[in-house]
Formats: sequence, structure tokens, C-alpha cells
Amino acid sequence: MPFFQIDGEPVEYEPGEKVLSAVLRSGKIIPHYCYHPGMSVVATCRMCLVDVIDMGNGRPAPKLQTACSLDAMEGMKVETLNQKVEEGQKLVNEFLLVNHPLDCPVCDQSGECILQDYSFKYGSGKSEMDYSKRVNGWRDIGTFVAMERNRCIQCSRCDRFTREITGTNEFGMFNRGHELTLDTYADRPMTNKFQGNMADICPVGAITEKEFRFKRRVWKLKKNYSICTGCSSGCNVTIEHDRNEVFRLKPHENQNVNKWWLCDEGRLTYRMMNERKTRIPRPLGRVEGNLEGVSWEEAYGAIVKRVKELKPFPHEVLALTDTRASNEELFLLQKLLKEGFSSDNIFCPLPKWGQSESDFFINTLITTDKTPNRAGALALKIKGDEKNAKLKKVIEGELKVVFILGNPFEAESEIKEIIKRTQLVVHLGVFHNSWGEIADVVLPGQYYSEKEGTYTNKHQRVQSTEIAIQALRRTRPEWQILAELLQSLGQTSCFDSVPQVFAAMVQEAKAFSGVSFDEIGSLGIELKNKTKDTGMKVLVKQA
Amino acid sequence: MAEETLVLFKNIRNPKYDKSLAGYKRSGGFKSLKKVFGMKPEEVVQEVKESGLRGRGGAGFPTGLKWSFMAKGTGKPSYLIANADESEPGTCKDRELMLKDPHLFLEGLMISSYAIGCHHAYVYVRGEFFPAIKTLNAAVGELYADGLLGTNPLGSGFKLDITIHTGAGAYICGEESALLDSLEGKRGQPRVKPPFPAVSGFNGCPTSVNNVETLACIPFILSDGGAEAFKSFGPQNNSGTHLVSLSGHVNCPGVYELRMDVSMKDIIYDIGGGIRDGKKLKGVIPGGSSSPVMKADEVDVLYNFDDLAKIGTMLGSAAMMVFDEGTDIVKLLHRITRFYAHESCGQCTPCREGTHWSSQIIQDFLRGNGSDEKLKRLYRVGGNMLGTTLCALGDAAAMPIQSFVNKFPEEFRKYYATL
Repeated sequence: MPFFQIDGEPVEYEPGEKVLSAVLRSGKIIPHYCYHPGMSVVATCRMCLVDVIDMGNGRPAPKLQTACSLDAMEGMKVETLNQKVEEGQKLVNEFLLVNHPLDCPVCDQSGECILQDYSFKYGSGKSEMDYSKRVNGWRDIGTFVAMERNRCIQCSRCDRFTREITGTNEFGMFNRGHELTLDTYADRPMTNKFQGNMADICPVGAITEKEFRFKRRVWKLKKNYSICTGCSSGCNVTIEHDRNEVFRLKPHENQNVNKWWLCDEGRLTYRMMNERKTRIPRPLGRVEGNLEGVSWEEAYGAIVKRVKELKPFPHEVLALTDTRASNEELFLLQKLLKEGFSSDNIFCPLPKWGQSESDFFINTLITTDKTPNRAGALALKIKGDEKNAKLKKVIEGELKVVFILGNPFEAESEIKEIIKRTQLVVHLGVFHNSWGEIADVVLPGQYYSEKEGTYTNKHQRVQSTEIAIQALRRTRPEWQILAELLQSLGQTSCFDSVPQVFAAMVQEAKAFSGVSFDEIGSLGIELKNKTKDTGMKVLVKQA
Repeated sequence: MAEETLVLFKNIRNPKYDKSLAGYKRSGGFKSLKKVFGMKPEEVVQEVKESGLRGRGGAGFPTGLKWSFMAKGTGKPSYLIANADESEPGTCKDRELMLKDPHLFLEGLMISSYAIGCHHAYVYVRGEFFPAIKTLNAAVGELYADGLLGTNPLGSGFKLDITIHTGAGAYICGEESALLDSLEGKRGQPRVKPPFPAVSGFNGCPTSVNNVETLACIPFILSDGGAEAFKSFGPQNNSGTHLVSLSGHVNCPGVYELRMDVSMKDIIYDIGGGIRDGKKLKGVIPGGSSSPVMKADEVDVLYNFDDLAKIGTMLGSAAMMVFDEGTDIVKLLHRITRFYAHESCGQCTPCREGTHWSSQIIQDFLRGNGSDEKLKRLYRVGGNMLGTTLCALGDAAAMPIQSFVNKFPEEFRKYYATL
């Protein structure tokens, strides 16, 4: 690739690329507000000024240039740190603060505000503006976001977002000159499903998420990489939490999955991470018809005892799982059945799913499959079909031991009725649900923000999650429960960590062969042996 | 003794002239068009290049060169847009042309369309020019009725449509890329350049945007021996006659057609009949409100692109605003600055904040709260807009501020706070 020089260091660029884009890709920083790699270049904030001392033809540029709109040229020499540039940045920053209210103490953006950061770094520290500032006031612009127009620096990122990313065109610029404001058309609040992104891309505190406003100062939040489990897209997110409470999910850039975006529905899944009322707090066992709290040892002991009493044949054992469980959990459940009972009666619900076809990439981020790991279940060849016909055939025969992982077949009361008659029902789950009511032993698992795991998204890309917050004291991650059950039932295989389980899975499951846990990293890796039919259908084409 | 040279105003200065199509034809109209249809488009461009015609909209860019930059072989249609959004304060020349001799301008538009291979030309007229819009529409109607527009005019096999489009009253839409956005139905805001309109303009196609007066020069240039004659009307690199909008405190304000080798002094005292009420000259804004102001002792200079640039100001759209000794400079600057603050599109930072802030500072002076510190601040704020904005409006707002402060500092001292 050709390259140009920035402050004496070479930077590679793709032909036709702009200077700012190439520089940001190389990891260096040129301050900017209006530029966003996912949207068109408007070059209006004028913050990314650079001094071109050689345009590639030996001549300097006559004045400071905006790096975002400057075509990179072979042999070009660009300076970003000299006095001329510093003065340019200082004056732009001064202009931006002329009408900015500087209400940082009460502004939610404070701490992650680009204007704040740049004012400290590049600003002059004082203002000569001594007239009253422009006042525009607060606007309720959408179902998910609100807008404090006084703070707006008119970078037009939000305007371009509805124009170029969602294609909904709900947002626009009004008035001229210093009275320029951004607002929704005809005073109608926005209804698009991706409003939260506007709060993300807003460089200042003008657009903020209603869900997060006034809850916590951002510098108190700790961040962990994870993925959104709201649907099968597997968008990369950062879980932001403080004192074991999750406050928000923010998208985390991954060009192969969600680019920079995350839907509002996905953002709201953080609420379940803080859910305590319906959580199963400790192992429960059925004593004289009632579920009562027991210790882990008692629960395992009871299961082993009953299994030994029942001596089930392979066809009398059944495991049901939903596709919310991680790859490792699905694998271990499969292993538990295979090694503990020589059975392969493991089923999950696999209804048809779909996503809309659209010219706008962002619309394809929401799928109708609201579970994160359907592709993982398919890769592990867990049984199931659209109408659960195979499962219904199996439960016609006699069943002695049933394992339930999560909340599968929640609406199928028929299946539940039959399983209720089984002698041993073991339920592994995070929340109380109707399976718990018919279970003999309930083993409390952990929510995905509390444990490690890998999930396979709709494009069959394996991605991993980090532990973000601490789980309840007497719960254990499902993979650990399953591994301990395997041991209690006399099997020799022993798993202490998720990478260990993953390694075993790579050995045993054909679909995962050739993938290593370390390779997954923060961006994930696509499976080499893909399942061909994932049951996807494309919904109506959206405009 | 300076006098007018009539090329563009040849018909307009004739009191018996009938501006209808028949009248225009009687006075020798459409001869150039007929001649051009016998030439190759490249020859037309070459002829215009040779005439040395420079754009009359304000930047003074050579017109032939501009046309030769048009992207070729892209498979996209080319467009020619006539910029009739004349809104620079003080300028009123295009309106004269459109109102009093529309067919001259339209013939120029047609020849130019032929030269750059455009089959649909647009005229973007300033929305407030109601009579001009009416005249233009009537003239275009006449041309269609006569068969000069549409398919195969004069048996040439060429096809051309002209659409008159009215603006909605924004100064910024006179900037060519903002004009294109506005014409496309978007909010009129200047675009990032490059790509220039010659590569990607109207609807992403190669486009040339030319001023009305520039286009009106074309029929003369393409007439027999026109290019040579046109070149002879002024000093080197400043060829042809141009329309000067003379306004302000002169006895005979108006639009005059002059050669480029007439001095400003002659324009004020000869053509303009001197300063009103026998007062003394204080200064001149030479090329529309955005050009740097000149003091009375600087006016002995030839009124053309290069000579004005030499003394640090500009010809711009050749709108000369003369003011006498009784003029309050601070009030004048305040009026200019308020105009730019009102007309700034607001998309880019220095212009959006700087225009308003500087008008606030001058307002402060007018209230009697001036100080040395504030004068320095005004100068600095103005300077910070210079060369840092996306389009030229920031420069247009900054240049008068800096030049007024530089040349008339004592006027500002009158408004210093006396405590």
C-alpha cells in the first residue's frame, strides 16, 4: 500500500482514502467531532485541522486543511503538532464553546464528552465571550433518547445517522447561522429502533439515553466486553457496571458483526442483568412435595441416588435445552447424556427465524430469533425441528430422567404435562419458571453477564463473553454444574474452566474443529465447517 | 472622460429596444447560436478560452478553463446551471440582464450548453426576483414556441431544455455547491470540495455553474471576431467589459458597462457624477460587501481583477459601494456583519459562531461599550474565520471586519466607553 508521512512517521492508506481515516486506522489521533467512519464526510466542525507541509508534489498547502476531507497522496507530509495547527485547534474550540452552556456538572456526558476532553487538551482554558449564550431548550425527540439542544455543537452526526444509516430521515437541521438547531421533523418523536446509537455518536451531551440519564457518573462505570444476547445477531457490547449493578450496554465496534451499532431492544437487555426477584438464589430440592433450599452436595447426592435407583435405559433419559445456553453448556449437556446415560436424546426448539432484507445494513441487525446461540446448537447437532415432531415421538415412550437447561418449550404445555409424570426432573436455570414447578431438583445457574462462555451467532461466528458482575453467592455457572454432575455420576472427565471445555468441544464436535479459544479474542472467529441450513428465511424487504 | 462600452448593454441602452424574441432577433440575436451550431463543441470552448473571459460571479475564474475541467466519458449527463441567485449586497447587474434583455442571457446559456454537451440547463434564480422570474419564464416560453429550445433547434440536431428554478431566499445558495444542493431539493449548504462540481455536481453528474453575466458575454465572444474584440477591451488577463453596480453616496448610481481599464476614480467622479451633496469621499467597498474596504486615497486604481488584488482587495462581483464623509463606519460594519450572521448556513463552526459573535461585539460598540480590548477581540474573531471555513462565506464575513478595523480604527474609538 502507498503511504504518506504524519509528523515524520509513515502511515499506510488505501487509494482514495482520506488522511483522517488512514490516520485513525493506524491508531494515531487527530481530534475531530463531525467525522464518523461510518458516515459521509461533511468537514464542518473544522477541528481536524492539519498542516500539509508537502502535498506530495513538493509544495505546501496554502492554509490549514481538514484531515477528514483531505485526499491522502503518496509522499505527502502532514504535521499535526506544530504551532499553526495548535492555534487552529484552539480557535475552533473557542468557537465551539461560545454558545455551549458548560453545564458539565449536571451533564450526563461529562466524563465521556469529546468536547470536554478536547477543551482540556487543545482549548485555551479561557473564553472572551461575554454576551448571553444561545438558548434552545430541551426536546423530547424520541422514545429512547432526549435532546438538550443548548449543548449541541451542530456536528450533524445525528442528522446523517437517520439519513444514511437507518434511512428513516426523521431528523434534520432547522434555521440558519448561529440559530441552527437539530430536531425531528414536524415535532414528531422518533420511532426508529436504533435511537440509542444517536446518543453514542453525539460527541457532546446533547443527545442522551433516557434509560441512563441521571443514574450514574460515567467515570464510575467499569467496562467489560461481552455480546448482546437479545437476538441471534450477537452484536458486540460493552457491559458498563458499577457496584455489581449494570447501568447500560454500549455497542463495541466489530466490523464483521454490528459495525458500530446496537439496537434499542438490545440495549434494554441490561435490565435482566440486574433482575433479582425472579432469580433462583440457591439449589432447591423437592421435600414432601415442596421445593426447599438445599446445599449443592445434597442436591448432587439426591440426583445420583435417584439415578442409581431408577437405572434408566438410554431411551428413558431426555435433555431439553433452549438456545440461550452457551456452546460449552450445550456441549457438556450432550456429554452428560452420552457418557452418563449413553443417550443422545437432547432436544432444543428450532423454529424458523428471519431477518428483514434492507438496503440499510442496520436493519439486518434485528432478527426474529431472540436467542443468542441457535447456530451453536445446530453446530453441535442438537436435535430439534420446526414443529417439535421428533421430540413428541420420544416423549411418547416411558421417561425416567429428564434434564432441563434454561427455559425451553416454554409455551408447549403438552410437553410439560408429559414430563411432569417423569420420576426425576432436574432443572438448571437462572430464573424461576414453569419448569421449576415440576422439577424435583432445581440447580441455580448464572446469567451471561456473570459467567464466561462462547456463543455462535447467525453468521456462525463464535464470540466470547467476559465476567462483568459477580453472581449471587450460592449460584454456579451452568457449565460448572454440568461438569460436576458428570463427575458425581462417576465419569472421569474433569473440567475446571471454560477454555478447557472449549478445547474438549473442539476435539469432539466436528463443526468446531480447527478453532482455538485464544483465537476468538474480542472480535470472534467464524466456524470453518458451517451448518448449511440454519432455518433462516428473509422477511419482507424494507425500504 | 470615461464612458460606457456597450456589449452586454447594447440592447438595453437602446430606448426603443423590444425585449421579446422578435425584438432580440431584429437586433441581431441568435446569429452566434447559428454560427456555433456549425462548430465543434471543443472549438467553442477554445474560443471562450482565447477570449480570456473570467467568471463575473466574484471569483474571477477563467470560464473556458472551467468548462474544460468537466469530466468526460463518464456516461453521465452533463449539466449547465446559470447562477442567477444574485444576492451579494450591492450587486444588481444580473437582474438588469434578466429583466431587460433575457434572450441575450438565454442565448449565452444555449451556446454554453452546446459547448459542454449539456441537454438540460437550469437557471437558479433568486426567489425575490419576481419580475425577473416572470420575464425569464416568458422568454423561455417564446423560445420553445419558436423551436429554438427542445429538439433540433435551427436544424442542428442538438437537444436542449431550460428550466427556470427559483430559490427560497438564502444568500448561501449563491455558492455553487450550496446552489446544487438547493436545486436537488436539499437544504442549501455548501458541500465539501473536492469533488468539484465539474466532476460531481448536480445529482452527482459533471456540472458547470456559471454566472448570468458570464453567460451573457458568450454570444458576443462567439460572434465573428468577437473573441479578439472582447480581449481588446481591457488589460491583459482582464479582458472584456463588465457590469459595474455603482451604489451609495454618488450622484448617479446605477449599473454601467465598462471596460476593465477604467480607474475607480473615474467611475466615482465621472460615471457616478461625484459624491452626493458635494461631500468628500470617505471610502469605497469595491466588490460587494465581502471585499476589503478601500480608503479615499486608494481609489486611483484600475477597476479590474488584478489591479485590485495587487492592493489587497478584490473585484468580486463589481459592486462598488461608495460612502461619503458622513458615514458611520461602525454602523456600516455592523450592518454588513449582521447580514453575514443572518446568512451563514451554520454548518461549520468558525462561521456559525464567529459571524454572530462579531456582530455582538460591534453591537456592543454601538451601545458605547467599546474598548481597545474589544477592538482587538473583534479583529481576532474576524481573523479566526479567515481561511478556516468550509466555503468562502467565512472569508466574506471576515474580510470586511479586518479591513474596517485596520483602516478606520479611529472610528471605533468614538464608541469607547468613557468612564
